[in-house]
Amino acid sequence: MSGVHDMGGSPGGPIDRDQHEVEDWERLADAINSALGARGLQTTDELRRAIESLENYRDLSYYERWTAATERLLVEKNILTREEIDERAAEIERRWSRP
Amino acid sequence: MTYEPGDHVRVLPSEKPGHVRTPDYLKGKSGWVESLIGAFSNPEELAYGLSGLPERHLYKVGFRQADLWNDYEGPAEDRLYVDIYEHWLEPEERGTK
Amino acid sequence: MSGHHPHEETTTSPYAARIRAIEALLLEKGVLTEPEVQDGISYMEARSPANGARLVARAWMDDGFKELLLSDAKRAASELGMEPEHPAEFVVVENTRYVHNLIVCTLCSCYPRAILGRPPDWYKSFEYRSRAVREPRAVMREFGFEPPEGVEVVVHDSTADVRYMILPMRPTGTEDLDEEELARLVTRNSLVGTDVPRTPEA
Repeated sequence: MSGVHDMGGSPGGPIDRDQHEVEDWERLADAINSALGARGLQTTDELRRAIESLENYRDLSYYERWTAATERLLVEKNILTREEIDERAAEIERRWSRP
Repeated sequence: MTYEPGDHVRVLPSEKPGHVRTPDYLKGKSGWVESLIGAFSNPEELAYGLSGLPERHLYKVGFRQADLWNDYEGPAEDRLYVDIYEHWLEPEERGTK
Repeated sequence: MSGHHPHEETTTSPYAARIRAIEALLLEKGVLTEPEVQDGISYMEARSPANGARLVARAWMDDGFKELLLSDAKRAASELGMEPEHPAEFVVVENTRYVHNLIVCTLCSCYPRAILGRPPDWYKSFEYRSRAVREPRAVMREFGFEPPEGVEVVVHDSTADVRYMILPMRPTGTEDLDEEELARLVTRNSLVGTDVPRTPEA
């Protein structure tokens, strides 16, 4: 059984031709990935594999998948831990929600 | 296995687990080798941090759309090209199904 | 840090905080440096469909360059000061009176980002990735394009280590235009195949 990402030939509805404005965090997701690649810490193939393994693949946007997959790889390679990412993300969100 | 342009090939209906770059919709389908694109480290192994060596040949393989889809809308000449690694192909006798 | 981003307080994605957290941690641990992250940002900002338009306009004006673009696109791109990705191949396919091409990556939305920058949202959509291989003509009609009678449609699914771009046909009535004016006719969608270039009157 092929993965959910392997969707060539599947039925599909009309194509939404709207273009959303790229957000800064999405630019950052791109940048982190190319920087990690340039350092030899991550390859395009590893990123693809990690994206394909996401259980909530269909619920995430393109850059959400990139971010989730990058996190998965960094944890897998023992560069970061999930706990410290959780902690820091929560701190950042608290900071953003302050008036 | 090395192929020449024009060779008739079939995509293996393999269900091997893990990261692959051969889409499901092509498995078991027949087409022809259009050209050799080059040799690349195997992405199926690079995906897990392995070296991916030795390099594998990547072929541009052509398919008649009418052979891929029962309900294809368009003339018989419409076609699809996909880049497929050598280890996903097997030779096929012309005229077989 | 890559700076304060006031709009992020209003974003609804929980992943915004996660990528910022990842950035902060990687910088603190010295895994990446700020200049490297900045370079990553500048890299994508410097790339756009204008690069593709330049390649096309040059090919329209110069048969030798056209031949090079179709046989060794990476070298052609380098000649115009562009830097394609590596180690992937970069291949340009030509639209003719007989053939109209359409590019898709069903597995993950691969795109010649190093030349054209980010792909459009529609290219990354599940609907496009699902339908482009199976019903390319219906997909193109949604974009308002229909190839003339007798033209074959050829789809390229960039499943592996190749990134594709289309060399569209030069519109008629453009003999008097210079290279810059020609480049302005080349739309991003015409480089992917869901459309053809503008005409001078349009």
